[in-house]
Amino acid sequence: MDRRDALAKMFSAKGVRVNTNRGEAYYDRLKKMMQKRLRELRESPAATKVDIQKVLDAEGLSRRDFMKWASAITAMLMLPASFTPLVAEAAELMNRVPVIWIELQDCAGNSEAILRSDSPTIDELILETIDLEFNETLMAAAGHQAEAHLEETMKTFKGKYLCVVEGSVPIGAGKEWCTIGAKAETFEEHLLKVAGDAAAVVAVGTCATFGGVPAAAPNPTGAVGVQDIVKGKPIINIPACPANPANITGTILHFVLTGQIPELDHLNRPKFAFGYRIHDNCERRAHFDAGEFVEEWGDEGAQNNWCLYKMGCKGPMTFNNCSIVRYNSGTNWPIGAGHGCIGCSEPQFWDKYAYERPMADANIKAPTGGVEKSVDEFGLGLLTAAGVGIAIHAAISATAGKKEEEK
Amino acid sequence: MARTRLELIEKIEGEAEVLYEYEGERISFAQIRFLNSRHIEKILQGREPLDALVINPRVCGICGHAHLIATVRALEDCFERVPLSQKAEAVREMTLSLELIQNHFKWFYLTVLPLLGLEAPIQRALEPSRLAGEMIALMAGQYPHNSYAIPGGITGEITPVDLLEFRARLERLKLLFRQSLIDVDLEAFVRCERIEEMLSKEGDLPRAMRHILKRGWERVGQSLDHFIVFGGGGLFTEGKSIGTRLQESINLRYLKEEALEGNAAKRVSYRGRYYETGPLARAMVLKTPLIREAHRRYKDSLFSRILARICEVPRLLRYLETLCDGLDLSEASYTDPGPFPASAQGTGIVEAARGSLIHRVTIEEGRISRYQIVTPTQWNLGNGTRENPCPAQKALMGLQRNDPAELVFKAFDVCSVCTTK
Ligand code: SF4
Repeated sequence: MDRRDALAKMFSAKGVRVNTNRGEAYYDRLKKMMQKRLRELRESPAATKVDIQKVLDAEGLSRRDFMKWASAITAMLMLPASFTPLVAEAAELMNRVPVIWIELQDCAGNSEAILRSDSPTIDELILETIDLEFNETLMAAAGHQAEAHLEETMKTFKGKYLCVVEGSVPIGAGKEWCTIGAKAETFEEHLLKVAGDAAAVVAVGTCATFGGVPAAAPNPTGAVGVQDIVKGKPIINIPACPANPANITGTILHFVLTGQIPELDHLNRPKFAFGYRIHDNCERRAHFDAGEFVEEWGDEGAQNNWCLYKMGCKGPMTFNNCSIVRYNSGTNWPIGAGHGCIGCSEPQFWDKYAYERPMADANIKAPTGGVEKSVDEFGLGLLTAAGVGIAIHAAISATAGKKEEEK
Repeated sequence: MARTRLELIEKIEGEAEVLYEYEGERISFAQIRFLNSRHIEKILQGREPLDALVINPRVCGICGHAHLIATVRALEDCFERVPLSQKAEAVREMTLSLELIQNHFKWFYLTVLPLLGLEAPIQRALEPSRLAGEMIALMAGQYPHNSYAIPGGITGEITPVDLLEFRARLERLKLLFRQSLIDVDLEAFVRCERIEEMLSKEGDLPRAMRHILKRGWERVGQSLDHFIVFGGGGLFTEGKSIGTRLQESINLRYLKEEALEGNAAKRVSYRGRYYETGPLARAMVLKTPLIREAHRRYKDSLFSRILARICEVPRLLRYLETLCDGLDLSEASYTDPGPFPASAQGTGIVEAARGSLIHRVTIEEGRISRYQIVTPTQWNLGNGTRENPCPAQKALMGLQRNDPAELVFKAFDVCSVCTTK
């Protein structure tokens, strides 16, 4: 693809275009299916004895707080508001679906993000009700005891549990260094074992999905993502560094609700979360369209929250819902603090995107009056090699999104 | 006859192996090994200097913010002079302090209390962590993993509304401290010098400390009694202390790192000696009254170690308040330091939750040619020899079978994630 074409595509692409209204008949069918699923779950044994209602009571949270949370999640899952009671019911039945959380080669950043996820309601939901059976970060039981517990859970809930993975899988030289547990399994063996009997595998964070920082050149440990190792199982990728806790909870809830994995894009990312680009819903978008850019840190543009594109923002080629969901209970997000998006939910972003520099040279004349037109004004010769790589990749992502939509 | 038993410690963060050697009922030696490494130092080689700002917070999801600030300090050190506004400096101190606070809360509730066999309501760790995360996010965008600090300042503009929101959460944090850890006035507690006074109060801290006394563990876990603090400025002072003998000047020239076979963590020493770093070391160098008193009675035992860490919380909270009060929002967030030097060396030091974190960078021809990270856990959980053990080893040696070995070990708060990078 010609560079100019690629750039033009990148800025005019419409994103994946998630279908948020599929018609009454569709939702009726979906509702019936969910009701049936929840009925079945209600009759099945609980993985833990924790009762969500008791948890809420103990924390002094009212039914209203809980329903408020449920309606937010319903919206995030792109379901009509009438599904809220079902989502709430699913949350109450979360303890019927055990989640086994394993940490491989990681920095523990994702479980950290979870530990401070949303309102206390969700902390409770995640920590106590859905039962992170074997989260190495949260677990109080140590060593052998924990391992026995893991084996037992895997046996009891064979084919029914969700396996959540944080961290990449080192398969290069020296992998025997990376071992886990008393039996000194390699990370790869450990993953294959736990994923083997899971209903589905959820790769959380960019390390688990695409290899992440450990896979950055020269990839000293030969790190790869879960999907490169686990075959023949549904895999849901929730990239970003860290992954947004709301997207993790949303995915798990979706599974509880339907027994199925949510609709995915070409990179196995749930569309409800990765259907749009950061750029599509960015609070600074108006400034982009108006050609108002931060040209240097601390300049007039920076003081007035103008668009960060020229400071290296990768929002136009990054699919994620940060601009809507934000982080730390919706408090803020990177662009809100004046730093461009680093594209952390895209494959190989460390080598392609992470650069603290614009993807196009900052000397480019500020585009004025409409974006598409401005693309032609860009001195393409000034683009850095990295910039072009990004542009083409983004164009491909955008087309890939389109294709799926046409199907 | 010495018996050797392999004990695997799966801790809060990552994984380490401790090999206990027993002589009868007594631990005669303990070897510590870290097994996993991502080789971030290698990944940084050949990259543009500013890339380190994005990669390094990912060294650790637990103390990633300390890594960001250490990185930005190391990069700034490459310039001849970086004009940093007081505002930028203060905001960085604020976000850094918050990371410490939330780490302290989590360690106490998720690690210490359960190991003491005491009731540990998880919510008492989660709410303060969430608040601290939100406060960091207000200034820095998100937590964990943000890159808002850049050579010359910070990227964002802090508005009066942000500050208001920040202060509201700070008030809540102060309240939570009193409600859960110890019910005393912050100011009074910082000045408190009597152990009995601390013990007589309500709260989970005195409850834990009373329990340690009741079990007779207050002298357990004594270590080298050598303390070192590299990160001066801000709330802490640099210096080293052997027992109570204090020496204020530290020179990084004397720091030595050595690779060990079969261990992903390198061992560090200062002038050929091993040191403990972290809250207890900081308190000893600062001569914090209550901790000096604990040390006088029980030396550098787990009692002193646990108390020292929690005693940092009220000081940090007060520090945050002072920083907020002094913040002049009209100051520049960023001052241009000029073009990045093509070849230079820089060092950035930060006091992280678990102790001194040191980043050293060498730039050649505009690229990173060498990056070295020395983490707190490398000091505390080094693997020394029988004759010359590192702090945690020394603390474990001599313990009897029914002593709380795991607690002694974890009182140092292992963080293998960043230790092995
Ligand atoms: S800041 Fe980034 S995401 Fe936002 S409008 Fe500008 S380029 Fe797009």
